[in-house]
Amino acid sequence: MHTIQPESYSQRSFIYRQFSGEKSVDNTFMQVAGGVLALSTGKDSDAPGLIDLSLVPRAGFRGVNAEQYVNSMGFPVPASPNQAAMTSQGECVLRLSQKEFWLLSHPQQNVCDRVEGYALPENGCYPLYCQDSHTWFAMTGKHCPDILAKVCGVDLRAACFPPGAIAQTSVARVNAIIIHHVIGSEQVFSIMSDSASATYLWGALLDAMAEYEGQVYGLNKLIE
Amino acid sequence: MNEAVKVNYLMRLDAPMGLLINREKPVSFTFEGKTFTGFEGDSIASALLANKHWLMSRSFKYHRPRGPLTMAGQDANTLVQLGGEPNVLADRQTITSAMMVEGQNYNGTLENDRDAILGNFGRFMPVGFYYRSFFKPMGVWDKWEGFIRKKAGLGKLDLTFQPEYYDKKYLFHDVLVVGAGPAGLAAALEAADAGASVLLVEEQPILGGALTYSRFDEEGVVADKLRTDLVARVEAHSRIDVLLNATCNAWFTDNYLPIIQGKRMFKVRAKECIVASGAFEQHVVFRNNDLPGVMMSSAAMRLMKLYAIKPAEQAVVLTGNDDGYLTAIELHQQGVLVAAVIDMRERADNPELVSAVQKKGIQVKSGFTVYEALPTKGNKHIRAVDIRKIIARGEVDKASTLIECDLLCMSAGYMPSYQLLCQAGGQLKYDDDAALFSLSNLPDHLYIAGSVNGINSLDAVVADGRFAALKALQQLGLTEETALPVKCTRTLNYQWPIFSHPKGKDFVDFDEDLQAKDIINATRLGYRDVQLVKRFSTVGMGPSQGRHSALPTARLVAKATHRTVTETGVTTARPPYCPEKLAHVAGRIFDPSRQTAMHYRHLELGAKMIPAGNWQRPAFYGKPDERDQCIHAEATHVRNKVGLIDVSTLGGIDIRGPDAAEFMNRIYTFAFLKQPVGKTRYAVLTSEQGVVIDDGVACRINEEHFYVTATTGGVDRVYRDMMKWNAQWRLDIDIANVTSAFSAVNLAGPDARKVLEKLTSDIDLSCEGFPYLAYREGTVAGIPSRLLRVGFVGELGYEIHVPARFGEALWDALMEAGKSLDIKPFGVETQRLLRLEKGHIIVSQDTDGMSHPGELSLNWAVNRKKSFFIGCRSVDIVMAQKQTRKLVGFKLPVTSTKPEEGHLVLEGENISGNVTSCEFSPATNAIIGMAYAGINQSDIGFQLPIRVNNGEMVMAEVVALPFYDPDNSRQEM
Repeated sequence: MHTIQPESYSQRSFIYRQFSGEKSVDNTFMQVAGGVLALSTGKDSDAPGLIDLSLVPRAGFRGVNAEQYVNSMGFPVPASPNQAAMTSQGECVLRLSQKEFWLLSHPQQNVCDRVEGYALPENGCYPLYCQDSHTWFAMTGKHCPDILAKVCGVDLRAACFPPGAIAQTSVARVNAIIIHHVIGSEQVFSIMSDSASATYLWGALLDAMAEYEGQVYGLNKLIE
Repeated sequence: MNEAVKVNYLMRLDAPMGLLINREKPVSFTFEGKTFTGFEGDSIASALLANKHWLMSRSFKYHRPRGPLTMAGQDANTLVQLGGEPNVLADRQTITSAMMVEGQNYNGTLENDRDAILGNFGRFMPVGFYYRSFFKPMGVWDKWEGFIRKKAGLGKLDLTFQPEYYDKKYLFHDVLVVGAGPAGLAAALEAADAGASVLLVEEQPILGGALTYSRFDEEGVVADKLRTDLVARVEAHSRIDVLLNATCNAWFTDNYLPIIQGKRMFKVRAKECIVASGAFEQHVVFRNNDLPGVMMSSAAMRLMKLYAIKPAEQAVVLTGNDDGYLTAIELHQQGVLVAAVIDMRERADNPELVSAVQKKGIQVKSGFTVYEALPTKGNKHIRAVDIRKIIARGEVDKASTLIECDLLCMSAGYMPSYQLLCQAGGQLKYDDDAALFSLSNLPDHLYIAGSVNGINSLDAVVADGRFAALKALQQLGLTEETALPVKCTRTLNYQWPIFSHPKGKDFVDFDEDLQAKDIINATRLGYRDVQLVKRFSTVGMGPSQGRHSALPTARLVAKATHRTVTETGVTTARPPYCPEKLAHVAGRIFDPSRQTAMHYRHLELGAKMIPAGNWQRPAFYGKPDERDQCIHAEATHVRNKVGLIDVSTLGGIDIRGPDAAEFMNRIYTFAFLKQPVGKTRYAVLTSEQGVVIDDGVACRINEEHFYVTATTGGVDRVYRDMMKWNAQWRLDIDIANVTSAFSAVNLAGPDARKVLEKLTSDIDLSCEGFPYLAYREGTVAGIPSRLLRVGFVGELGYEIHVPARFGEALWDALMEAGKSLDIKPFGVETQRLLRLEKGHIIVSQDTDGMSHPGELSLNWAVNRKKSFFIGCRSVDIVMAQKQTRKLVGFKLPVTSTKPEEGHLVLEGENISGNVTSCEFSPATNAIIGMAYAGINQSDIGFQLPIRVNNGEMVMAEVVALPFYDPDNSRQEM
């Protein structure tokens, strides 16, 4: 019997049902920003893994003054679009265009709390709805480029797509942002995609991972 | 060990023959219901031959017995039925335990095919006869069709077949090398040694290409030594990835190459591509050259080297080059009595080989050819050859000598495996005098090496592979080394290996049973161009795609039209290189679908889901076969109590910035500059042609922030158009498509306010505090919400939009709060009925590609005072013209036949419009609908003729819209 379940909270991951019901036998959950995410799925191996981070806080800003705003909050600003930079707290700053930035929390922190302390510029900087418009999955393991090559036409091997690289592309025919970065001490490929297509994409990725004995993991794969 | 396995052991040659088989693992399978045993690694064909079974298929037209020709999957002679899968290449498909294989294309049994009699009527079936028969007199085709269709096609489809799992995968490499023969191996090593990542693709299950089966020297040691060395280095190289049993099936621009291996298609992106695809050995055209036991020299070599099969007791080798002598030596060494080497040339290039052969007691007949192969009974196998002296090009002496044999190995030379290169734009040229091919005009970053490049001596082939790699490395910036192109003067092609026989059956194309005279007759009928000959005769259109027929066809056409082969050319090579399954093209089918946050709640409530664009939406809740009852009950419930519908699929776009109002004013037809904050306004979007293309509700959240909805299917276009227009206008705004970011419901019905009051404390929900068409922000069940007072379904209604992660919790809270008020969900089909009762249009259902605002009575939503909106000029023009049709409401009694959407509205004998929406309305107890009608038919009270199913006419009364609550008292309450 689990003490916390996703449906006890008003904020729910777009794919929480993949972890509940009959699938929940080995699952435990942890609270993340007003909802819960799977902490453990009872599986732990070196096999590639897929982790749901949909509720992990994130914020986005767009506009001519967005760079200045992100900078003013003390976040490192990647020099050019499609690059990511890490903070010492494990947050990840994405530069998606000259004028668009996303801030991704570490799963145990809330970048939105930090952002709330800084007033938006009067104009030229508009908050984005990336917490709800996009789902967030993380793929771990050494076969990630091979797995993603089954669903994505971008060369994601380390030589071409090193940590800090971002690809805005299509994954299994759904628009997606792929980020190569580190969460905790784990190298991951974060995949951010249309939240309404989350169930479909989750299934497509697991299908692609099956060849490499991919597993669904919980957050404990990424946090201390 | 059982008897079958013992026999198999005894039939095989000693190692090192049999590179592909594992003698420790016998495998049993059935062919035509009879059990055979081979070894792991055997192909179906090799296992059958090991058991002395040569008959594998029947030819397409004459049903002649056929056996292996190439043993490399390059011909149609070994097509078999494998379970439910037709046209499997028996010389490529490895055997597995309990595999059930059948022959195909026979009437009776493979051994005794009743249709083999067709071979006796060949003169009644000349080339192209089916184009000129069966169509006269009128109607006769119907009588022939069944018979012809039964005879056409190869194999049987399994109609109970269930799709299997196929997929695709991208691969990225610096250099792709197609073909792992000596040139390919050398190229791969050269490139990888210099630091390039290399993908080496080989069609066969083993690396080495010709090194695995060919003999390059009298002693027979060079090939094995070189192969062992090259393969060991390739396999140990960390920068070389190898795909075996993989076919590069096409070349597309920028080195985009599909490679098929098993059930996967790799989509390879290569910076540089080296094609070392080798060459196809060519056959000699003579009578009965298709008998089982007549095969390419390379096929016999493959049988011995790869499968350890002694192919015959007594063989004859027919050759046009020195390779035939090496084949003879190999056959002799493996215990085959070689009766003769028939050399079509007057003399061999290497006299030492001739003397080596003669020393083994093999007679050499130079300047001779096989004129006819003589069959055993029923044409089941070769029993002897009739050899004759060549007296002129394609002509032989009358003096005949018979030599008994059960195998004839033939080689007229080699043709480059040019298909991929010609797909890339390469030009294949042929030197008629030297019988040499060359390929030119290749695009940048594509190189050729080895025998496909006309290089035929082994040392030169290896050097050519390295040279190609150097060129690729230079492009990659990995070397500055240069080298001179490799030259090779060794020729292997005999100029005219075609010896027509007056009795025919001298096959040019084995796939289509085309004889030499068929090609010549095609030219006599006026088809002088080789492309036309192909289409008329079907030469080269079979499974082997002209690998063996292209060259003799070109030669015959050239001769018949008094041109050179270079002038004649060969037929166009198009993708795919070899047959591929639709499953490979389809791969793992990705069919994205979108679900709202409340999706599973709908399923739990028994919703009948329907697609809406790429979304899944509940049509209604209940059994699919009780559709009408469910919809009527849901509609009645909304009219009398309260209902809840998921409208998350509605498009949502945020417009923010100092110029937001100006932007809205330019995009939509209405005026938005002075829209009050906290108010909503109907927004109609017209195209530049003045056609209504979308509509929605625009909410002004603050002076610089609009939130505008769009139709489910139209939002992507609206967003795209907005981005396009503002790229020109450069207004200071941000446009965000927030469709997925928000979940939304419409809480509708007389009790809607009571439900909402239970969950909201920070919004004044009174009619005065939150009137119709107002916009508010607050919390619902603690969830931050955007609320719109709407009237789409004609009742008191609140659209509640919340961040998507809260969507399901919002649904839960509203259903729980409404429980005491008997809240019920309603679906999109019910919503369509409710809005129809209110006379609201749905863009794309009630509009078409010509609907302008005037036709839709939307004049009130077009502001004619403002200077501009998209399409304003066109709207002015079309609305100034005499209107020809109008969308009207109509009504029919319940007892009438109900028109369907699309049924025609008539005006006399002419079509004046069509029905766009029609349903039974419980609220009015009538059939109601909307339809386009002629302008003269649009007056209230007009009896509108609608032609329904079966030609019945119903007369509907044109009525004023809306059908329900004309003073809007219910939605404004």
